[in-house]
Amino acid sequence: MQKYDLIVIGGVAAGTKAAAKTRREKPDWKIAIITRDDDVSYAGCGLPYFIGDIIQNRGQLVVRTPETLRLVHSIDVFTRHSVLSIDREKHTVSVQNTNSNEKLEFGYRKLLLATGASAMRPPIPGIDSERIHTIRSVTDADAILAGMGSKSGRAVVVGGGFIGIEVAENLKHRGWEVTVIEMLPQILPPFDLEIALMMQKHLEKNGVRIVTGACVQSFCDKDGGVEVATSNGAFQADIVILSIGIKPNSGLGCDSGLELGCRGTIRVDACGRTSDPDIFAAGDCASTFSVTSGNEAWSPMGSTANKQARAAALTLTGTESEFPGVLGTMIVKAFGFSAARTGVNEREACESKMNAVSVTVPSDDRAHYYPGSEKIAIKLTADAETGELLGCQTYGMGAVDKPLDAIAVAITMGATVHDVAHVDFAYAPPFSTAINPVNLACYVMQNKLSGKLESIGPVEANCMIHSPDWDGLLLDPREIPEFMIGTVPGAVNIPIHEFPTRLAEVAAFKDKTVIVVCNYGKRAFEAYVRLKHHGFNRVKVLEGGTKFWPYELE
Amino acid sequence: MAVKEIDARGLQCPGPIVEVFKAINALKPGDEIRIQVTDRGFLEDVKTWCRKTGNVLVSLEDGQPIKAVIRKK
Ligand SMILES: Cc1cc2nc3c(=O)[nH]c(=O)nc-3n(C[C@H](O)[C@H](O)[C@H](O)COP(=O)(O)OP(=O)(O)OC[C@H]3O[C@@H](n4cnc5c(N)ncnc54)[C@H](O)[C@@H]3O)c2cc1C
Repeated sequence: MQKYDLIVIGGVAAGTKAAAKTRREKPDWKIAIITRDDDVSYAGCGLPYFIGDIIQNRGQLVVRTPETLRLVHSIDVFTRHSVLSIDREKHTVSVQNTNSNEKLEFGYRKLLLATGASAMRPPIPGIDSERIHTIRSVTDADAILAGMGSKSGRAVVVGGGFIGIEVAENLKHRGWEVTVIEMLPQILPPFDLEIALMMQKHLEKNGVRIVTGACVQSFCDKDGGVEVATSNGAFQADIVILSIGIKPNSGLGCDSGLELGCRGTIRVDACGRTSDPDIFAAGDCASTFSVTSGNEAWSPMGSTANKQARAAALTLTGTESEFPGVLGTMIVKAFGFSAARTGVNEREACESKMNAVSVTVPSDDRAHYYPGSEKIAIKLTADAETGELLGCQTYGMGAVDKPLDAIAVAITMGATVHDVAHVDFAYAPPFSTAINPVNLACYVMQNKLSGKLESIGPVEANCMIHSPDWDGLLLDPREIPEFMIGTVPGAVNIPIHEFPTRLAEVAAFKDKTVIVVCNYGKRAFEAYVRLKHHGFNRVKVLEGGTKFWPYELE
Repeated sequence: MAVKEIDARGLQCPGPIVEVFKAINALKPGDEIRIQVTDRGFLEDVKTWCRKTGNVLVSLEDGQPIKAVIRKK
C-alpha cells in the first residue's frame, strides 16, 4: 500500500492550492491528489466564457496539468480515481480507478477534503433529457459545446443567479436566443431588488428574455428540442442549462462520521480542521464563517477556496493559520453592466433587524471628461447609530470593483463611514474623480445619518407613489429638455432656477411628502435644501435619480 | 438652411442637451445643429429627446468626442 504524508481528495481550486502550499512548506513530504475528474486545477469561473467562445482554447482554462504538478511540485496526481471511503482508524482511503474499476488503498498521515460541490439536479419530471446540462466542470462545458453544435438556436437557462446570468450573456454572444427562468421574484438574489432590476433591464436591452417568479414544473423532449413547462408558461429550447444551485460534496466526510456544518458542509474551524484532527477540509465542501456575525456560513467561491486551502495547508504542516471567514463578496458582469456586493445588503439588514441605514450614491468612475468615463452607483449600508459600515453594493457600466473592494477592506477592519470619508484615495483623471466615489458615498451617508439629508430608494419610492394613499408630490427640478427626455411617471417640472417665482404652485404640498427627482440625486439635493428652506417639511431626494431608476421612465 | 455649430465638449450633463434645446428654439424648420459632446450620457439623451420632440437626429457618431447632427422639424 502506498503511504502519503498528505492525501488531497479533489484537484480543482482548494485541492491544488493546498497541495502546492504544502509542498512549499514541506519539500520532503509525499503528497498525492486524487480526483475523479479528467482535469485538475481548472478555472471553473471561466467556463461560461469558454461556452461563449471568449476563451477559445480549452487549455487556457487549465491552470496546471497533472504533468506540471508531478514535475514541478513532485505531487502524485490520480485523475479518474474516485475515493470511495475513508478509514479514520487505519488512516487509509479506498479508491477506485474509474477507467479500469481497479480498487486501491492508500495510507495518509494527514487528509484534506477538497471535494467541492455538485450542481443540483432536482427530480423534476423529464430532467434526464440529454439536452439538459449543468455547468460545473470542463467536461460539462465540453458537453454543452457539443450540444450546441455550430448553428445557433434557442436556449433556456434555468436559474438567474450569477452563473445563470454569465451563461445567458455568453449564449447570446454566440447568437443564441436566450430565456432565463428564475423562480424567485428577482434575478441575482444576493442583491437588493433595484440592482437586480437594473441588471434585468440591461439584459433585456441586449435581447435576453427574463422570466421571474416562474417555477419549472417539467421538461419534455419534443420536436427535436425540449419543452420547459413553468408556472408562468411553456418555453421551447434546443438546449437547457440548469444553474439553480449547488450542494456540497460532503458524503465522504459524513459517511466517515465527521461533524457536518451549515447547509450540509463539512464543519471546519478557522484553520480548516474537521472534527478529526488529522483531517482537514477546504473549499466548496467546507463550512466557513461570516466575518461580521461570526456565524457559520457557506461560501462556495473560488476566491474563498484558495484562502481557506492556504490556511489549512499551513496549519496541517505545523504553522497554525486562521482564515477568519467571508463577507459574502461577489461580482458579476453582463454586456458591460456590473454589479458587486459585500457584507449585508439592505434587505438582509432589515430581515436580521439591524438598526441600519442605506443610501445609494451615483458617481463617475473617473473624470467625466476623460475618455471611457462611465457612471456607477454605490449603495452603502451602515449602522444608524455608529456609522459602522455593514455592507456595500456597487453597480453600473463603469468600474464597480474598485469602490467595492475598498469598502470590503473597511468592513473587515470594522471601520465607520466617518473613517472612510477622509481616506486618501488615488486621483488623476484616467483613474478616478477629484471627489473619490467612495469618499462621496460616505459624505452622503454622513448627511443621511445626521439628518441633513432625507432620501428614499427607488423601490420604496415606487411603492409609495403607486399606493392608493399617495397624496404627495413628485417634483423634477431639472431643465425642461431633461424633463422631456425622461422622468419618473407623474413628476411635475419646476426648474430649480424658477423656484423663487413658481414654488407657490405647489404650496399645497408643504406638509405632504415631496420626492425630488433629478438625473443622479445631486440637483435634487440642491432642490431639497431650498424646499426645506421654503417650509416644505417632508422632502425626500430620490436616490439614484432617473439614471438608476429601475422602472419605466416617461 | 442655416447650420449652427455647438462645441459642448467638457460640458457635463445637463449642459449639452440644454445647449441643443436653446439652439433649436432659435432656429427655423429645416435648419441643422452640429454638436460635439464628451459627456456620454448625451448618446441616449439626444435620441430620446429627438424622438419625443419630433426633431430629426440626422446622424449620431459615438466617439471622442461624440458628434450629432439634428434637424429642426
Ligand atoms: C460556471 C461557474 C462560474 C464560477 N464563477 C466564479 C467566480 O466568478 N468567482 C468565484 O469566486 N467563484 C466562481 N465559481 C465557483 C468556483 O469555481 C468554486 O468555488 C471552486 O471551483 C471551488 O473549488 P473546490 O476545489 O472547492 O471544488 P470543486 O471545484 O468542486 O472541485 C472538487 C473536485 O473534487 C472532485 N471530487 C469530489 N468528490 C470526489 C471523490 N469522492 N473522489 C475523488 N474526487 C472527488 C470533483 O470531481 C472535483 O473535481 C464558479 C463556478 C462555476 C461552476
